[in-house]
Amino acid sequence: MSSAASITSRQKILDRIRAAKRNSANGAAQVEAANAAQPRAYVRSGKLPTEARIALMIERLREYDAEVLESTPENLVASIRAQLTGSGKHRFVLPEGLPVDWLVTGFDWKVDNGLATADIEHAEGVVSAAFCGVADSGTIVLHHSTTEGRRVITLLPDWHLCILRASQVVETLPEYFDRCPQPPALVTWISGPSATADIEMTRIKGVHGPRILHVILVRDDA
Amino acid sequence: MSPSAANHPVLDPLLAPPFPQAALPLLRNPQLRTNVAHAIDVIQAKRSRLVKEKSDWQELRDAASAIRTEALANLDHYLEQFEERCTRAGGTVHWAADAAEARQIILELLRKEMASEVIKIKTMTSAEIQLNPFLQAAGIDVFETDLAEIILQLGDDEPSHIVVPALHVNRSQVREIFARRMGLENLSDDPQALTAAARTYLRQKFLNIPTAVGGANFLIAETGSVAVVESEGNGRMCLTLPRTMITLAGIEKVLPRFQDLEVMLQVLARSATGERMNPYTSLWTGVTPGDGPQSFHVVLLDDQRSSILSRPVERQTLKCIRCAACINTCPVYRQTGGHAYGSVYPGPIGAILTPQLMRMHHAQSLPFASSLCGACYEVCPVKINIPEVLIELRSQVVDQERRQFASIFDPMFLGMKIANLLFQKAWRFHLGQRLARIGARLFTRKDGWIHSLPSLGAKWTQTRDLRALPNQTFHEWWAARTKEAR
Repeated sequence: MSSAASITSRQKILDRIRAAKRNSANGAAQVEAANAAQPRAYVRSGKLPTEARIALMIERLREYDAEVLESTPENLVASIRAQLTGSGKHRFVLPEGLPVDWLVTGFDWKVDNGLATADIEHAEGVVSAAFCGVADSGTIVLHHSTTEGRRVITLLPDWHLCILRASQVVETLPEYFDRCPQPPALVTWISGPSATADIEMTRIKGVHGPRILHVILVRDDA
Repeated sequence: MSPSAANHPVLDPLLAPPFPQAALPLLRNPQLRTNVAHAIDVIQAKRSRLVKEKSDWQELRDAASAIRTEALANLDHYLEQFEERCTRAGGTVHWAADAAEARQIILELLRKEMASEVIKIKTMTSAEIQLNPFLQAAGIDVFETDLAEIILQLGDDEPSHIVVPALHVNRSQVREIFARRMGLENLSDDPQALTAAARTYLRQKFLNIPTAVGGANFLIAETGSVAVVESEGNGRMCLTLPRTMITLAGIEKVLPRFQDLEVMLQVLARSATGERMNPYTSLWTGVTPGDGPQSFHVVLLDDQRSSILSRPVERQTLKCIRCAACINTCPVYRQTGGHAYGSVYPGPIGAILTPQLMRMHHAQSLPFASSLCGACYEVCPVKINIPEVLIELRSQVVDQERRQFASIFDPMFLGMKIANLLFQKAWRFHLGQRLARIGARLFTRKDGWIHSLPSLGAKWTQTRDLRALPNQTFHEWWAARTKEAR
């Protein structure tokens, strides 16, 4: 819908850039070659054995004050129940793609099939899956599929329980990118709960996102 | 004293006084200097610890630098690719040749939305184009949502840093501002309580204001996606809840590929806040049905960037990813804080970026606001040789001054002209040395030092002593020695 002025500016800017480079636009092949020729000598693959990789992920998450619980796949539902009970909260949201047996009884569940914002704001907590965990930085990556939920449901509730499988945990950030043959349309990288250090560089947890992050690490690797 | 009671900082390079003049009141403000030094020390300590633990830090810097260099070398290609893919995903791309056009595009978009209020993610680019006062004047209320930006907005203050814009304000000053502007008389100065007050203040705004304006840390050409790096979650709120999202980004913000983030995200958080990774990074592509804003606009801002691109030495300025590592390490910034730079971009990066954004017509004092110690180059995650650019810009400023008629009478240029004559022939140089020796004798004390010189020479001796000129130069000694040997 660009206005006429904007179209003119578009041409003007591109012309200026091309003049600045003193040659016309490089062809796609040249661009590809320039890309391939770049130095990429940094660490791509991790070297830690599985146990140490998982231990590092847990250590990093705990440094962010996230609470981490390990669980076997068989015990997962019981672990979820324990976490929900321990939270002291009752109203929870769940993305629509998660197994129904995660909806443990005794709590007020809302499955997100396009819930209104007010309903999500009303919830006290959210349970979601994840796409990947990066141990090096303790990062949880969401691609917002049907098991991870729309962005808003892992944002408004104050309490977030994230179910991460050990097989999803990589050591380095480049290894996460290796797991994305097709770039995703939506990504949220979460490294600990929301925080700020804007006042005297004092780290304060929980500004706008969930103030409390819990992680259940499902040992599906054993 | 609240920051608002002090002289309001001027961050418009068109109006700001020269750096040495602007720095004086700040150097005389012990509270401000304590606040700045404290914040800088904390960030520096965290950064240096996390950079040390990264065994491949230099390799990451090499890669980050190469990625940015290549992105700029093919900028036209990548911008067109970004536009095509963002548009395909349901976004709309606008091009703004200058600040005025960018402001106008954003205003028109907001008018179309019938917006009377707008929430904002922290974006230095919007501060650069002075968007907030423009929108306010057009009758649109602007609500900043980053904690530091709220402190500044409510305190009628200006940013003094690009990552932690309110680092010059301490907790009791924040308490005073919040208590006054939010009507919370019993607020304590505990950062936890202050943060909670901001959360409550903003929650209703996030839920009710349907239009947001933000910036971009990266535009991904390959996918047409935009990435925003943040800590608090205010960015996620603005990117998720409103109906309409408008992103303002400089044309230099493009990365060629999604995978390039594996380098940039690793270097950015460590350099900026001394964290292995910032709490939240969001990436989105156009419009996703049912998730987030259903109307998405990107405004690509040139405003002198293409002209910076045309100059071979200065071009590297555009590699900047706004991490502020150079600011945090700069010995000059540490003393003055950010307001002395008279621009939203302070510190070493500001000293090279601001005058260039002003086409070297304003802010000419900034390239001189450096000791050229090189610390900024050493920490820069994309390896911008800031001292090299500073020296290039200094030479341009000197050339400007030389071209002015008044420079004929300027003692510095006169001195340089005389020096030029003296250095041309050996005999002139030797004659000059002899005359200087005779002249200096008048001012040399018994201890072998010159403690004070008259007139222009006083500028030197006001702050340091000068060693007396020796009775014999090396040349004279060598000539005498050779004669003796015969």
